[in-house]
Amino acid sequence: MLSSFLITTLIGASLAGVACSLIGVFVVRMKLSSVGFCMSHAAFAGSALGLVLSINPLALALVFSSAVALIIGPIAEKSKLHPDVILGVLFSLMLSLGLIFLKFSPGTALSSSAMGILWGSILGINTREIILLGIITLVILISMKLFSKEFRSIMFDRKMAEASGINTKPFYYLILLLTSAVVSLSLKLIGGLLIFALIVNPASTAYEFFYDIRKIIIFSPLLGIGYCFLGIAISFLFDFPIGSSIGVVSAICFGISVILSPKRRKG
Amino acid sequence: MSNNYIVELEDVDTIYEGEKIPAIRDINLKIKTGEFICVIGPNGAGKTTLLETINGILPSTRGKVRAIGQNIKKFGHSLRKKIGYVPQEMAIDELSPFLVEDVIMMGRFGKIGILKSPNAQDFEIMEEIIKWIKIEDLIRRPVGKLSGGQLQKVMIARALVKKPKILLLDEPFSNLDIKASQDISEKIYHLHLNSKLTIIMVTHNIGSIPVNSNKVMLMNDGKIIQGNLSADDFRLNQLKSLYEVKD
Repeated sequence: MLSSFLITTLIGASLAGVACSLIGVFVVRMKLSSVGFCMSHAAFAGSALGLVLSINPLALALVFSSAVALIIGPIAEKSKLHPDVILGVLFSLMLSLGLIFLKFSPGTALSSSAMGILWGSILGINTREIILLGIITLVILISMKLFSKEFRSIMFDRKMAEASGINTKPFYYLILLLTSAVVSLSLKLIGGLLIFALIVNPASTAYEFFYDIRKIIIFSPLLGIGYCFLGIAISFLFDFPIGSSIGVVSAICFGISVILSPKRRKG
Repeated sequence: MSNNYIVELEDVDTIYEGEKIPAIRDINLKIKTGEFICVIGPNGAGKTTLLETINGILPSTRGKVRAIGQNIKKFGHSLRKKIGYVPQEMAIDELSPFLVEDVIMMGRFGKIGILKSPNAQDFEIMEEIIKWIKIEDLIRRPVGKLSGGQLQKVMIARALVKKPKILLLDEPFSNLDIKASQDISEKIYHLHLNSKLTIIMVTHNIGSIPVNSNKVMLMNDGKIIQGNLSADDFRLNQLKSLYEVKD
């Protein structure tokens, strides 16, 4: 009994760890953190609305975060607004909407479903959700293999990628849409408030150690899985929320990586 | 517009987003295949805007821009596979996770095309260019750790690796010391001499006008002030003005 439950949890955590940290390689390098942060809160607001309307929260999370990707994308792309402004306005709007929706959700606002959206509830993850996570992980891996040249070029410098003859727009939007899908599908694992820790922290840690983007793409998902497993273990040991445990573990590891980073060593 | 010219600009204005005044205006320019054009002018004259309008990275807001016989607005991406561009400056952070060899090969990615990987021939071309520019010792180094001059050479290699028909150089000597500057200047000289490559080079330094440039264009305030001077005439005019000699 324990093994089946544990296996489901660990598979879910592994898939979310891989998907989030792979997409994090783009988010960190392309400085899309503010866009992604808004997406995660849009997904949270969408899920909360799903609870209110008794519609699948996952579907509405996807709709909300994709909508944010499509709205903010052009704004961020042309730098018409500073990323901090986007973050300040949309993050607070989405969080406020999410909390308002939760207030009207059936039962009390602190029902287990509502809390699950906020803080994550990987222990309640089901087979369907694991399959969806598996599909998005596979889509990311295939996209990264097929469009490796284009993605690397855009991550180096988007303007120079254009100058070399690459039409960067479809790839930029593919990254945004994959980010919104990963955020929505991983929401149940770590929760809307902390999902971004699993996207940014493993990739940021990997960036501290390597000068070769290919090594970062391999190392980041390994860290993502490691953080998830460690977070789950700490959560079981100390009865902490899983999302918070993953957030704390990954932040501490990032802090250590900055201290140990060979890139920051003098001489 | 005729097909005898590799670059043609007709009544072109380019305005940056959010701006009202064009950065370049009323530009009329015709460049033949194999010509070496040097664009000179003070900072803010519109030289970089002109280059980026020619390769279509900055879309013109008025007029027509054609390169290699095609409209740059319509065929920008496919045309840029044949146009090499060396920007004046690149803000590369020190921790950038890219090696020099990767950055150089990226110049060829557009030409290689979608869903394909660089093959043996692509690597051969890259090695040839690396040897020619003499940066063999840099190729495994992180690009963020290079000096300004080294980065400039890498960006020139990146522009050449696609075997372009047009080469746009934006202040290629700005970050180089005298020796590196002479070295690159010689390379550009030989590149033009030995191939049919059309070169448009922008500079604010009169001393860096290459001896083999066919034409010198003077820009100021977004306009071409003088568009058809030979390099010798241009230098003579400069000397006359410097020593206040009247014709």
